[in-house]
Amino acid sequence: MEEIRMKWLKWIGIVLAVLLILPVVTLLILGQRKDAGHMHGSIEIAASPQQLFPWLVEGDKLKQWVSWLVEVRVPDPTVHGVGASSVWVMKDENNGGALMQIVAKNREYAPPSHLVIQISVEGEFTGENVYELVDLGNGRTRLEMDSRYRISNWFANLLEPVVTPAARKKMVADEARLKSIVESKAEVR
Amino acid sequence: MKPPMLARMLLLAVAGEGESEFVAGDLHEEFIYLCATRGRPAGSRWYAWQVVRSVVTLLALRMRSGEALHVVSGLSVAVPLLLLDRLWCFVHSQIPLKDGLSRAPGFLAVNLVCVCICAALCGSAARSFQRAILIAAATAVSATFALWAASGYTSAAYVWLMLLLVPASSLLVFTWRKFV
Repeated sequence: MEEIRMKWLKWIGIVLAVLLILPVVTLLILGQRKDAGHMHGSIEIAASPQQLFPWLVEGDKLKQWVSWLVEVRVPDPTVHGVGASSVWVMKDENNGGALMQIVAKNREYAPPSHLVIQISVEGEFTGENVYELVDLGNGRTRLEMDSRYRISNWFANLLEPVVTPAARKKMVADEARLKSIVESKAEVR
Repeated sequence: MKPPMLARMLLLAVAGEGESEFVAGDLHEEFIYLCATRGRPAGSRWYAWQVVRSVVTLLALRMRSGEALHVVSGLSVAVPLLLLDRLWCFVHSQIPLKDGLSRAPGFLAVNLVCVCICAALCGSAARSFQRAILIAAATAVSATFALWAASGYTSAAYVWLMLLLVPASSLLVFTWRKFV
């Protein structure tokens, strides 16, 4: 009887060890892939690049389509274009609704076709969002969004293969919201 | 003269009906003596302290006899589920531009698989059919509690699937173990 019990306990131990070790090893392997922390999205919007570009740079407009963005502060409104920075205040529902400040700085600024924003939170992550607006004619634009992030925390970095797809899903949802808002405004005009 | 009610209830919860009778009897004698010599507050304090310091020993005793297996079963379903919920919160919190509380189906599937494995392990420890039923019920109750306490949004389909699969995997492993 005792022998059978020990056998079962051994099996329970093995199952629990596998449940822990297997995901960690999988995450470590997946974390080494070339496009780790990289997201790309493309969407066609029925608006011209001139109409679309302000939605990528103006705080009030950004708040409408970037979910969980509650405030955009501009420390120095006199600076425009390359080098202009703003603070994006995000509400983190998964952290008890805590507000988080992200510093966004324009690295490249060529309206209405190209924009590169460097975003970072000290001690957490650094990254950049590249926006390309391709004029398709007939008042249509293809918006290409390319984001690349590097997470600083080792545990969060281990979870990168899980974080990136979740972030990509959020980016796609935000893009869809942008399309819907911009097209509805364009129709009104 | 009656000992503090909270302490008595705690004693009953951790020791079980059978064991608590003996322990409570011994404690009560000393409690009466202390109340008579040092006053009721001192007696109550002593009684409560004795119960608190015996909790671990009494629980270990119950587990060794297999009586508290359903308590362990409950914990071994709720704790992983709540830990996974915290993990998914952490993952979503790491999304650079943040996200809400809704969870991707993949995350929910991982929850389901992990919890079913835990419930199955609990079911494997049952020695009788009655105990297996009790464990299955405990895992279902514990899963319900964990779902209620979790912060992520869950769909009704996920909840029903969880409440069906968790006790089922516990019972299935018990049945399989009995016949193999």
